[in-house]
Amino acid sequence: MSAALDDGDRLESIRMIRDSAAAVVPPGGELRRVRELRWQEPGFDRGVLRQMGEMGWIGLRVPEAQGGAGLGLGELCALAEELGAGLVPEPLIPCALSAALLAAAGDAEHLPALLAGERVALTAWQERADTLEAPGAPDAPRRFLPMAAGAELFLLPVREGGRLALYAQPAAGADLATERTQDGGHYGTLRPDLGGASKLAEDVGAALEAALDEAALATAAYLLGGMERAFAMTLDYLKTRQQFGRIIGTFQALQHRAADLKMQIALTRASVEAAAAALDAGAAGDARRAAVSRAKARAAEAAMLVQRQCIQLHGGIGYTDQYDVGLYLRKAMVLANQYGSAALHRRRFMASAPEGEE
Amino acid sequence: MDAIAIPPPEQLDSLDDEHFRQVVREFLRQNYPEHLRNPPHRLHWHECKEWYHRLAEKGWLCPGWPKEHGGLGLSPIKQIILTEEYERHGVARTPDHGIVMLGPLVIRYGTEEQKRRFLPKILSGEHIWCQGYSEPNAGSDLAALRTEAVLEGDHYVVNGQKIWTTLATDANWIFLLVRTDKQAKKQEGISFLLVDMTTPGITVRPIINLEMHDEFCEVFFDNVRVPKENLVGQPNRGWDMAKALLGFERIFIGAPRQSAYALSRLRLLAERVGVWEDEAFQDRYARLRLDLEDLKALYGVYVAKLRRGEALGPDVSMLKVIQTELFQRITDTMLEIAGENAGLMDPMEGNRDLNIGGLFIQARPATIYGGSNEIQRNILSKNVLGLPG
Repeated sequence: MSAALDDGDRLESIRMIRDSAAAVVPPGGELRRVRELRWQEPGFDRGVLRQMGEMGWIGLRVPEAQGGAGLGLGELCALAEELGAGLVPEPLIPCALSAALLAAAGDAEHLPALLAGERVALTAWQERADTLEAPGAPDAPRRFLPMAAGAELFLLPVREGGRLALYAQPAAGADLATERTQDGGHYGTLRPDLGGASKLAEDVGAALEAALDEAALATAAYLLGGMERAFAMTLDYLKTRQQFGRIIGTFQALQHRAADLKMQIALTRASVEAAAAALDAGAAGDARRAAVSRAKARAAEAAMLVQRQCIQLHGGIGYTDQYDVGLYLRKAMVLANQYGSAALHRRRFMASAPEGEE
Repeated sequence: MDAIAIPPPEQLDSLDDEHFRQVVREFLRQNYPEHLRNPPHRLHWHECKEWYHRLAEKGWLCPGWPKEHGGLGLSPIKQIILTEEYERHGVARTPDHGIVMLGPLVIRYGTEEQKRRFLPKILSGEHIWCQGYSEPNAGSDLAALRTEAVLEGDHYVVNGQKIWTTLATDANWIFLLVRTDKQAKKQEGISFLLVDMTTPGITVRPIINLEMHDEFCEVFFDNVRVPKENLVGQPNRGWDMAKALLGFERIFIGAPRQSAYALSRLRLLAERVGVWEDEAFQDRYARLRLDLEDLKALYGVYVAKLRRGEALGPDVSMLKVIQTELFQRITDTMLEIAGENAGLMDPMEGNRDLNIGGLFIQARPATIYGGSNEIQRNILSKNVLGLPG
C-alpha cells in the first residue's frame, strides 16, 4: 500500500499521523489522566479508545476494503512513538493485533466494533512468559493479556492438526484472573472455554506470526517515545539543577553519560525506522523476523538503560512517585519484555539473519 | 540432631566461628517471627518492633558495639557471619539508625553524660532514631545545608527543612546537621544536634517513593527549641564527625547483604523460568557470584579496620559503589530473564518472596542515597587517587 506513495507523500503521511496523536497526548507531557487511571480496572478510558477508533488508529494496518486505513508500519511506529511519549494506557497495540487477525480471518462480525474502538478484542495467544510462539493448546491458560479486564472478546488461537484455528470467546462469564503491573495496568490469565466459543477461521498461523512481529515493532516504537520524553526531562533537569554552586549539567561525567544515552536513543530510532521501512517494502519471513528482532532487542535494552539512568541523573527526586520520570521506568519494565525480551530477539535475529546473507 | 545451646550474649565473641554460625541459625529459628521473613519492602516500626524488642531483650541488638556499652563486641568475621545468616534467613532490617549510625558516633565523640543518656535507650528500643542530613538544595552537595540552629540562652532554635529522612514517621529522635555559623566556610559552620521529635514545631510529611511506599519523609522545623546539651562534640565541628559517620554509612551500605539476597532471588527465578541450566546464563550468574564473593572479601577488610579502631579513609567509598552497582546488575539481570513477569507489581504467583519488579525498584536508590555514586567517584578520584580539580 504505502510502497505506492513516493517519499514526499510518505513523510507527509507520517507527519500527519504524528500530529494527530496530539488528540490523546496532552501537550507539555501532562500525565494527570495517566496517573488517575493507574491500577483501576479496566485501566484505560473507553471514550479515548473510541476516539482512537474514529481516527482510524486501531485499523491503521487493516486494508481499506475491510474498513481500515491501509497505512504502513512507518505510520504505526510514528503513532506508537507519540503514544509512548505520553504513556497512553489504552491498549492500542493489542487491539491492532486482534484487528489484523480478524481481517485475515475475513471476519465481518467482530471487526467493525473493534475498529471503531467500541469493543475491545484481545488475542489470547500466549501460554508462557517470553515467547513469540502460540502453541494453541485448547485447555492451556492464556497468560499476560494486557488490560484484560476491559475486554469484551477474546480471540483464541487453537491448534487443530497442523493448523492454528481462530476462535472467539465472549469475555462475559469467562474465567479470568488479573495481576497488577508496574505501569498501572494489569495482565489477565484466561482459562479458555471453547464450549462457549465460535470458530472464525481454520488457519491464522501465518497471520498471527506477522501480527506478533508488527506488535513487537510497534512496542519498540512506543519504548522509543518514552525514552525520548524521559531523556528530554532529564536534560532539562541537568540544565537547571544546581549543586556545588554550579548547574550539574556542567559536570563532565554527567555530560558524557547524557551523550551515551543520546547515542542509544539514536540507534533505537535508526533500528525501528529501518525495520518499519523494510516491512513496508515487503520484507517477509526471515527478513521480517530479522528486522523486527533487531529493533525490539535494541529498544528493550536501550529503554532499560535510558530509564535507569534518567532516575539516577535526577537523584532522590527521580525516586519519588510524584515526579513523572519514574512512570517511564515503570512502563519500560512492562514493555521491555512484551512481545519478546531482548535475549529472545537476539536469538531470533541470529537464527533469521545468517551472516553474509543480509 | 542435638539442639544447639545459645550461650549468653557476652560469650558469643569467644565461640569459634563455625560454632557461632550454628548458634546464630538456632537463635533465628527460635526467635525470628516467621511472617517477617523476606518482607517485600522496608518495614515500619509497628511491623518490626516485636523483633527489635526480642533482639533487645536477648542482648543481640548491637553486634558491633563494644561490650561495655551493651553490644556483643563481635569480631569482624563474626559480624559478617551474623549478616550472612540474617540474610539467609530473610531477616528484615529494623529502623537501625540508632544502632548503626548514632550509637557508634556517641561512643566515639559523645560526653559520658550523653553516653549514659542515649545508649541505653537505643538498646531498650525506647529511642528510635532517624537521620536529618539532606535538604532540597543540599543533596550531593551536603555541606550546602541551610537548616540553622541559633543559640538563645540554654537552647538552640532550629529552623529549616530536611528531606529523604528515612522512616521519620516511626522515629522519636532525629540527629541533625545544622548550620550554626553562617559566616564560616560552608563545612566549618555545621554542628551535630540531637532532637526529640516530639518537640513543638516539627512537622513530618511522608513522600511516596517508586516502591509506592512511604519510607522517606520531609521534616520541617519551625522555631524548634533544643537544649544546648544535645549538641554532640564541639560547635561548628559537626561536619568532620558527620563525615566519620558517613564512613559508617558507606560501610553499612557496602555490606554484601543486599546483593547476596538479590543473587539468591536471581537463582530462584532462573530455576523457575527454566534458564538455570542455560550455559550463557551460567556464565552471567558466575560473574555476579564472583563479584559477590570478592565484595565480601573487600568488606571484611574494612570491617577489620573498624574493629582495630582505625578510622576509615575515603577509600571506603569503593565499597559503597561496588555493592550498590552489583545489587543493581543482579536485579537488572532478573528483569532480563523474567519475560512478562518482569512487569508484575506483586510477587510471582507461588513465590511470595520473589518480587522481581519490587526488588529491581528497591535497587534504584542505592546508587543515590548515602552520597550518590557520582559523589563517591569524585571522592575516590580526588581524595584517594590525588587527581587534581
